Amino acid sequence: MAELQIEKPRIGVFVCHCGINIGGVVNVPQVVKYAQTLPDVAYAEGNIYTCSAEGIDSIKRAIKEHSLNRVVVASCTPRTHEPLFRGACVDAGVNPYLFELANIREQCSWVHMREPTKATEKAKDIVRMAAARASFLMPQQESEVPVETTALVIGGGISGITSALCLANQGFKVYLIEKEPELGGMLRKIYKLYPTDEDASKVLHASVEAVMSHKNISVLTSTTTKAVNGYIGNFEVTVLKNAQEHKFKAGTVIIATGAVEFRPTNMYGYDKYDRVLTQVDLEQVLKSGKAAVDKFFKPQTVAMIQCVGAREEKPPRSYCSRLCCMVAVKNAMLLREWYPSSEVYIIYQDMQTYGKDYEDHHRKAREAGIRFINYTKENPPQVAPLPNDRLKLTVYHALLGEKRELNCDLIVLSTPLVQQEGAKELSKILKVPLGQDEFFLEAHVKLRPVDFATDGIYVCGTAHGPKDIGEAISQAYAVSSRAAGPMANRKVRTEAITAVVDKERCIGCRMCENLCPFGAHRVEEGKSTVIEALCKGCGVCAAACMRRAISMKHFTDDQIMAEIKTAFIMEAPKPPASSNLEGGT
Amino acid sequence: MADQFEPRILGFLCNWCSYAGADLAGVSRISYPTNIRIIRTMCSGRVDPLHVLEALRQGIDGVLVTGCHIGDCHYITGNQACEKRVKFLKDTLDQIGIDSRRLRLEWVSASEGGKFARVVKEFIEEIRQLGPSPLRKEILESASQ
Amino acid sequence: MSEKPSVLVIGGGIAGIQASLDLAGRGFQVYVLEETPTIGGRMAQLDKTFPTMDCSICILAPKMMECFRHPNIKLLTYSELKEIKGSVGNFRVKILQKPRYVDGTKCTGCGTCAEHCPVEVPNEFDMELGMRKAIYMPMPQAVPRCMTLDKENCIDCKLCTKMCRAGAVDFQQEPQDVNLKVGAIIIATGFNQYDPSEIVEYGYKKNKNVLTALEFERWVCASGPVAGHLLRPADGGIPKRIAFIQCVGSRGTKFGAPFCSSVCCMYATKEALIIREHAPDVQVHIFYNELRAFGKGFHEFVNRARTEYGVNYIRSRPGEIKEDPRTKSLTIWYDDTFTREIKSLNDVDLVVLCPALLPRESNRKLAGIMGIELDECGFFKVVHPLLAPVDTTVPGIYVCGYCQSPKDIPDSVAQASAAAARAAEALTLVQVQRTE
Repeated sequence: MAELQIEKPRIGVFVCHCGINIGGVVNVPQVVKYAQTLPDVAYAEGNIYTCSAEGIDSIKRAIKEHSLNRVVVASCTPRTHEPLFRGACVDAGVNPYLFELANIREQCSWVHMREPTKATEKAKDIVRMAAARASFLMPQQESEVPVETTALVIGGGISGITSALCLANQGFKVYLIEKEPELGGMLRKIYKLYPTDEDASKVLHASVEAVMSHKNISVLTSTTTKAVNGYIGNFEVTVLKNAQEHKFKAGTVIIATGAVEFRPTNMYGYDKYDRVLTQVDLEQVLKSGKAAVDKFFKPQTVAMIQCVGAREEKPPRSYCSRLCCMVAVKNAMLLREWYPSSEVYIIYQDMQTYGKDYEDHHRKAREAGIRFINYTKENPPQVAPLPNDRLKLTVYHALLGEKRELNCDLIVLSTPLVQQEGAKELSKILKVPLGQDEFFLEAHVKLRPVDFATDGIYVCGTAHGPKDIGEAISQAYAVSSRAAGPMANRKVRTEAITAVVDKERCIGCRMCENLCPFGAHRVEEGKSTVIEALCKGCGVCAAACMRRAISMKHFTDDQIMAEIKTAFIMEAPKPPASSNLEGGT
Repeated sequence: MADQFEPRILGFLCNWCSYAGADLAGVSRISYPTNIRIIRTMCSGRVDPLHVLEALRQGIDGVLVTGCHIGDCHYITGNQACEKRVKFLKDTLDQIGIDSRRLRLEWVSASEGGKFARVVKEFIEEIRQLGPSPLRKEILESASQ
Repeated sequence: MSEKPSVLVIGGGIAGIQASLDLAGRGFQVYVLEETPTIGGRMAQLDKTFPTMDCSICILAPKMMECFRHPNIKLLTYSELKEIKGSVGNFRVKILQKPRYVDGTKCTGCGTCAEHCPVEVPNEFDMELGMRKAIYMPMPQAVPRCMTLDKENCIDCKLCTKMCRAGAVDFQQEPQDVNLKVGAIIIATGFNQYDPSEIVEYGYKKNKNVLTALEFERWVCASGPVAGHLLRPADGGIPKRIAFIQCVGSRGTKFGAPFCSSVCCMYATKEALIIREHAPDVQVHIFYNELRAFGKGFHEFVNRARTEYGVNYIRSRPGEIKEDPRTKSLTIWYDDTFTREIKSLNDVDLVVLCPALLPRESNRKLAGIMGIELDECGFFKVVHPLLAPVDTTVPGIYVCGYCQSPKDIPDSVAQASAAAARAAEALTLVQVQRTE
């Protein structure tokens, strides 16, 4: 590999049309022609879809035919396609770190759709920058780190329990931690499940038993996460159980912290009137049994109001909470079963009873005489008190175009699931993001629904967003598969991008040691050393070092300066008064 | 001269948040002017004061440094280091007679495609008002001598 | 028989691909059985995906390539399942690989054969809106990248053999029997669109400017039959007004299926946004029943369509689409449920019907071969819809994606990983039992 450092760069540039995504705005042939004129570029071509099998083959062929030792692909974002093209380079014998992706789609053609001429000029500039950087790229080696075959599952609800069991059954050790004294999460508050009509508590009991008795699972209740340091395969976990710290190592971390019901304070008289409940309040009431409910009241008229505190104009609660319509139908049917002469109304905006079973239940509910009244956001229902604890609900029936007044014995508010406070803290501890809706934000909404951008950490269940039990359990199994991957292989390849200290220049000032949040610098005998396994490659130390003694692999000063200098076509700059602006390697 | 002046902006975007935010602006097809060129670093904390100075020395009219919101840095404290450096740099620039408004720091998250586009548009206009970089004129002048 | 535990994945769409990558990534041997010549499935046919408006093939292609390059994955495309015997840990599978009449080791996918082939046939991948040759590649990003000769439509002129420089055309190819031993099976066969021809009031097939949703995706896709130019199918004219009709053959009508396909409100909104981005002067109207936007970011997406992009949502189930025989433009007669008036939307250039998405008819045969059950709608039955959502009634056989119940891409991907987890769990247990 040392020879490549002396070898003159021979860069191949591949400019992608991406169908019309790029080609429809940027004049790709012009960019290809331009690329051919750039220093160190030995070959350039255009492709319709560089990421297709044909495009990949073309790259590999060109590498061989033209003895290329650097590759620049001008196409879409490296965030999705860098691994693919790096793989092509490896197949053709070029170190994957001698590859550079120039983003002329998300950051050019797609944002300058009405300025094709300027976009083409910009694309040329972007390619010029990438080629200049490529000239300075060096081959890098990835290292492997061993992976602990232990998973940390945070959250002992049905999602956490399911993924813990699945992983334990595959032979992995699991720490299942739960902040409450008991396992079970939201399921402890639910009465019956749809469509099987089972008691939630029975279902829960069976799962809890299984998890408590599994030899591979250590359950820690009344336990919260205090700290998680390290990285995939080597997480150092500190948890707090009853004010006592426990430490252990984990290879992967699964977030299954669930969600809580939004409390509709000051909405529809929730805190004012006894007979205004939320759906979860209602579930608790139903759990106490029909006899107990009879003592409370015998409802003649019940109204359920959907979308209370959900689907709002602005975040965080601008989302639809997905399962409230299903829950309302389920509970409406239950009330009807217990009180066949009662009138039950569901006051809704759009019935989100999607799919197979829910649509079926919705139809059965209508057939059974549950009344549905459509309301619009602009004209929400009004609640006013009546004698004997009853309530008057006034609603404008949007489909009939008339005002309806219902004298209700019970009003149930369907409110959304929301993120819980503890999870916000957890997101900081694990360095994983929350979305605008405050739920955990996955790596990619379509194709990586349970991963985070950070390797080794996963999320499932309602911590990710509102969903029903079946969907949460599917996700719980999904994270088990994702986490099992690195743990089954017992190793994982890590990025090659780490810091390097030039010991000759280093004066042991400890600036880097103090600055690094990962503890990756250790100063001994007046010199700093980088612990590669801990280095995350952020480069903060390199930018801080007063002696310019630290360089970042793959993001060296030479490489960044090359991009700065070629960003725009300028006249030759005046040479600086002092000798060396570019330090490091 | 003022009508013809098209600001040249260099942006430093961090991989995890602001680069993804800029990508999202693209995915969402939100338009902004073509004046900006982008350099990706893993963290906004990688941006060295000398990088910013070199950009200005090259005659670039405005430098936009972006990163994750404080508290959200993928490398925990990298953006805090960046924030301190930018403050120091701004003081230095004012001291040596370069308008410190030519350096701008913004936090852009991965979901803020709209914000990225808006910031770029605003910064371009701000620099347009400030006029070409004084170093740019010198380059042109020295070239013509 | 290989040492590695092995799994058969039936269906090469996004769900099948995800399950395969998960299992292969941890060292399992995976066989992917796909009946068409390429993996990719429905997602490959889409232009964009909601709610991110990602270019569909752009995010799918890297995964397809990963499958192709992965040392632990063997793709068996253009193949059929014949027989399955045995039980979890030891399924003996018989697969028939149909002859492509093209040698996969020689074919470079250059397409010269297709250029010279004299036979044109409707292209299934383009929902038959465009043509392909008798020797063809279904789409530009096909994986594996190999031509396929459709023997039924081939006229035996052998021009392809003459023109192929790689000598890859091989008329001597025979169907191949592939016998496999696998420990577990994952089914991911996806869906088909309901054919709305029987709803005569909508005039599908009769009125050329009426398309189904998947047809529209191909129509508007840059790699589709008209290179993504927004045109009226009947005469190539520029449309000014486009309408979508939801729930065609869905949700308790006398036609089609009783269930809700879950994704149509969202994909109609997505297609509406594609139109508005393409051509900001085109009016878009969506006739809906219940607006189902329940997933992450979905409600916000629909709001954006309404407020920022001016998509007009009309709560109604239209009664009739009438075509003007001269102009081929359409008039939609409907009952506006909010104003309770009968109205018409005139001069509609293009109507997109959003039909029910149905589990494939072939699931029946598959279920028979494997001894598993279907429910009354044709979806694969699972042991428990909540607690065991991916387990079929036969241990060792799992199901994921749309063929289990209506769902979108993120839920299909998650379920695919779930099925992979269950398969791995089962095979771990089998391994343990064998060593005991």
